[in-house]
Amino acid sequence: MGSQGGFGQSKEFLDLIKSIGESRSKAEEDRIVLREVETLKLRLNDPNTPKYKLKEYIIRLLYVEMLGHDASFGYIHAVKMTHDENLLLKRSGYLAVTLFLNEDHDLIILIVNTIQKDLKSDNYLVVCAALNAVCRLINEETIPAVLPQVVELLGHQKEAVRKKAVMALHRFSQKAPGSVSHLISNFRKKLCDNDPGVMGAALCPLFDLIAADVDKYKDLVVSFVNILKQVAERRLPKSYDYHQMPAPFIQIKLLKILSLLGIDDKKASEQMYTILGDIMRKCDSTSNIGNAILYESICCISSLHPNPKLLEAAADAIAKFLKSDSNNLKYLGIDALTRLIKINPEIAEQHQLAVIDCLEDPDDTLKRKTFNLLYKMTKSSNVEVIVDRMIEYMISINDSHYKTEIASRCVELGEQFAPSNQWFIQTMNKVFEHAGDLMNAKVAHNLMKLIAEGFGEDDDTADSQLRSSAVESYLRIMGEPKLPSAFLQVICWVLGEYGIADDKYSSSYIIGKLCDVAEAHPDDDKVKAYAVTGIMKIYSFEIASGKHVDLLPECQSLIEEMLASHSTDLQQRAYELQSIFTLDAQAVKKIMPMDSTCDDIEIDKNLSFLDGYVQQAIENGAQPYIPESERLGISSISSFKSHDEHEPSTHALRFEAYELPKPSLPHNIPPVLASSTELVPVEPSYVADILHPTSAPSASDAGSSELKLRLDGVQKKWGRPTYSSPAPSSSSTNQVKVQNETPRPDSASSSKPTIHDTAYISRKQQIEISPEKQKLAASLFGGSAKSEGRHLPSQKNLKTQNHTSDTYRSSKAPAPDTAVKTSQPPPDLLDMGEPSIASSTPSVDPFKQFEGLFDFTQETTPVSTGGVHGATKDSDFTSLFADMSLSAQSHIDPNPEPNGLRGNKVKPSGNQLNKGPNLKESLEKDALVRHVGVTPSGQNPILFKDLLG
Amino acid sequence: MIRFILLQNRQGKTRLAKYYIPLEESEKHKVEYEVHRLVVNRDPKFTNFVEFRTHKVIYRRYAGLFFSLCVDITDNELAYLESIHLFVEILDHFFSNVCELDLVFNFHKLWLCLAGFRPDEYSVLYTVQVYLILDEFILAGELQETSKKAIIERMGELEKLD
Repeated sequence: MGSQGGFGQSKEFLDLIKSIGESRSKAEEDRIVLREVETLKLRLNDPNTPKYKLKEYIIRLLYVEMLGHDASFGYIHAVKMTHDENLLLKRSGYLAVTLFLNEDHDLIILIVNTIQKDLKSDNYLVVCAALNAVCRLINEETIPAVLPQVVELLGHQKEAVRKKAVMALHRFSQKAPGSVSHLISNFRKKLCDNDPGVMGAALCPLFDLIAADVDKYKDLVVSFVNILKQVAERRLPKSYDYHQMPAPFIQIKLLKILSLLGIDDKKASEQMYTILGDIMRKCDSTSNIGNAILYESICCISSLHPNPKLLEAAADAIAKFLKSDSNNLKYLGIDALTRLIKINPEIAEQHQLAVIDCLEDPDDTLKRKTFNLLYKMTKSSNVEVIVDRMIEYMISINDSHYKTEIASRCVELGEQFAPSNQWFIQTMNKVFEHAGDLMNAKVAHNLMKLIAEGFGEDDDTADSQLRSSAVESYLRIMGEPKLPSAFLQVICWVLGEYGIADDKYSSSYIIGKLCDVAEAHPDDDKVKAYAVTGIMKIYSFEIASGKHVDLLPECQSLIEEMLASHSTDLQQRAYELQSIFTLDAQAVKKIMPMDSTCDDIEIDKNLSFLDGYVQQAIENGAQPYIPESERLGISSISSFKSHDEHEPSTHALRFEAYELPKPSLPHNIPPVLASSTELVPVEPSYVADILHPTSAPSASDAGSSELKLRLDGVQKKWGRPTYSSPAPSSSSTNQVKVQNETPRPDSASSSKPTIHDTAYISRKQQIEISPEKQKLAASLFGGSAKSEGRHLPSQKNLKTQNHTSDTYRSSKAPAPDTAVKTSQPPPDLLDMGEPSIASSTPSVDPFKQFEGLFDFTQETTPVSTGGVHGATKDSDFTSLFADMSLSAQSHIDPNPEPNGLRGNKVKPSGNQLNKGPNLKESLEKDALVRHVGVTPSGQNPILFKDLLG
Repeated sequence: MIRFILLQNRQGKTRLAKYYIPLEESEKHKVEYEVHRLVVNRDPKFTNFVEFRTHKVIYRRYAGLFFSLCVDITDNELAYLESIHLFVEILDHFFSNVCELDLVFNFHKLWLCLAGFRPDEYSVLYTVQVYLILDEFILAGELQETSKKAIIERMGELEKLD
């Protein structure tokens, strides 16, 4: 082919290339290409065009598209070429369609048939071409069409085919985990393939699977270690060497897998120490690829159970990286250092100078990596330097994404480690001045909360100093033009709340300032609202303290302007401000109590003060109220029950429940559907499992009411994954672990561990921060303070908003929605607002499933002995829906922290719910959660709290 | 996982683009434009890694030609940097052995073409082979074969067809 300059192109093609190469302007080039498009259209549509010519036309079409022009008219011809018998044409056709089409293109349907046929071809080249197309073009819906053939090809005699088949399955499992969940054993088998290429390919899907569920693959640790050993000892063919390193890409993949398997697993880690030591020793640190392996080994070592010798070797390697002249190596060194300081915080200190060099490097990539390191090693002794540096950098960049990130990090570090009030206020001023508009409204609320509550110590003078220094600096700063809206809101709020608190400024001075702000920002309703509420507060304080006040003329005109405003919110505020003046001091004092933002305001969510009234009504013969959700729930439960008596397999029922997908269902729902129905027939083992264990809590409640029993089933199924938060005694944890690890030979067992592993992972998250480590971290890096700091703000924030809104009484706070909504049951509403969580939420509706489960719970619980820990039962339940866990898990694993966080935050409300766990409440909760679209995992904490009491 | 691979010349003309994630045509052009802007003016002393949206781009420059790989944030940068080089070594090997046009379009010439010196556009003649090699090297966004020999042999088998 090369011999004729590629594919034996015609002179025409060469001329085209030449003329495009010589064109002087974009316009000229476009003209040439458009002419070419016309030619191609004619030729391709001409039925008399000889076949051998077609290939060249398709390549010319690719060329046209590469030059940025629309070539979609020719796609169909590429598709037609894949149908051709001639292998050359077929291959070019496949190449072209994989480049032209996306998996969701309409034409895919025309190719699936051909692919099916070609996968069965005797010519392995045809099969390979088809497999390439499978990897690129098969989507969720078409997977079933080709799956059987691809699985068959895993046993093909040609290694190239086996390899591509593995990759195709890997692709399927990425797109629709449910579709290949029954094929996972094949990946394991392929680890033992004779061909290293096939083995290497099998590592890709295994890595993903292990990342999703570590515990299921612990048995492979030995195999992976062995493979790695063989690779490192150069047992693979020489052709896999790259720059004198034996199969480095396979080594790196293996190291990545081992680091997953070794997390918090002492036993597994110990199996890896020897080989890691060997690799670290053997690595050639003069070549890039050697350093890549070295770096991966450090990453692995830092995630394993710590081993002093290896840590030392890792520290040495990092030192070499940091001393190198190459920025690439420095970058890796900084990154590795960031990982290692989690285990050994002192190590950073040896490299101070190198780190500072990296920080000053003109290379942004390196600089950001270094900031990341600094962020991780901030403590109260170095916070000033670090935050000042961060702010300096923040001001210098334009990238709003990174600016936002670094700004919120500054705020976070400032809140945690601020050495003095003055520094804190100044720092926040700087951050807000330069990045206020980019920041989440939450951050501004946090700042207000901090000023209101102080730093948590019971030191009132310090708190009032903080406030007065804030007031002073704000008065100084607020005249500056172009302050971000969020910052102005904070200023207005603080001035209103504390402007006249220490009698330094007169009320008319502060009010004048607030009026100025409102006037200077006629288009910003939020700022105006904050300003007018600030004014109202100051007037109220004055009236309440018995002083005679007069409405300032500029304030009068502001009120008049607002009364005519289009915003009803502003109107209302203005009316309220007006009406303050008609009230006496006593009333005003009640409406606007001085400095009361930190007082707890109890909201009686159950409206219990109406109980007497309700009681009376019932006594007088009124029907007790049953919420709609419960009414529906009862009827459906009873229908399930009656149905279940006739037909123990709840097949039909569950199927029905699934048929109400949420509008926002992610695309992976169909496989879940399919496999859940598949799993239902596993009835016998399921029933057997369920008969034995029951949960301790439910045993204690047993017999008290049917409703409660049902509820227990609900809680356990979904409560499980965040089991960690209440921190049960370690012995019970161990017990659960042992039970979980007991191998079960039945068919269900292969899918079983999935869910309790999730729980296990999240539990590990908690265990990871052992008390000693925490202490160590606290003393060296302020680690524990940091993690606490992350939990608290949003919780407190919620509180603050409550107060604020309540202080305003009927007037709406600029962000009142959250406050208003708090009257609903728990899940943290603040978090709902966060797009990251909402968007990543696979909104599979787990509660529908439950309705199918209700009956089992009901029937089995009384039978059960109550001696076994609840967790086992839970896992049995879940085993039925193990496929679900795959989707749920993919959501959980990447960032387990949010779940943990939420678990913490919800605590208080959990207590409240404990007072009366009943079906009604749980259904209400379900309804709410369903409404908001939270995942099962998000819902769990509360449910589980119920259960544990 | 590799999200996409780009070969671009210094002027930002795309010479080869392979996407392992579904993207709209317009989105592709935007990505190509942005990646080119990110890498083209970086100091050679700088790292070969740049943050790109929520991923990172690993790039390497050969004469006037930029090879850019977009990978996940957790991926091993240096390993992917080396995989670019391995790919180039394979191309080098393939074209210097196979191409009988060495006299007219020898490998160095090809590189000159690809790199934008002289008749830049002629590189399109090799596009198909480069894509075929790429398909043997990377599949479904992962390195599928890292043995140079295995890939060259596979290409040899394909060559026989012509």
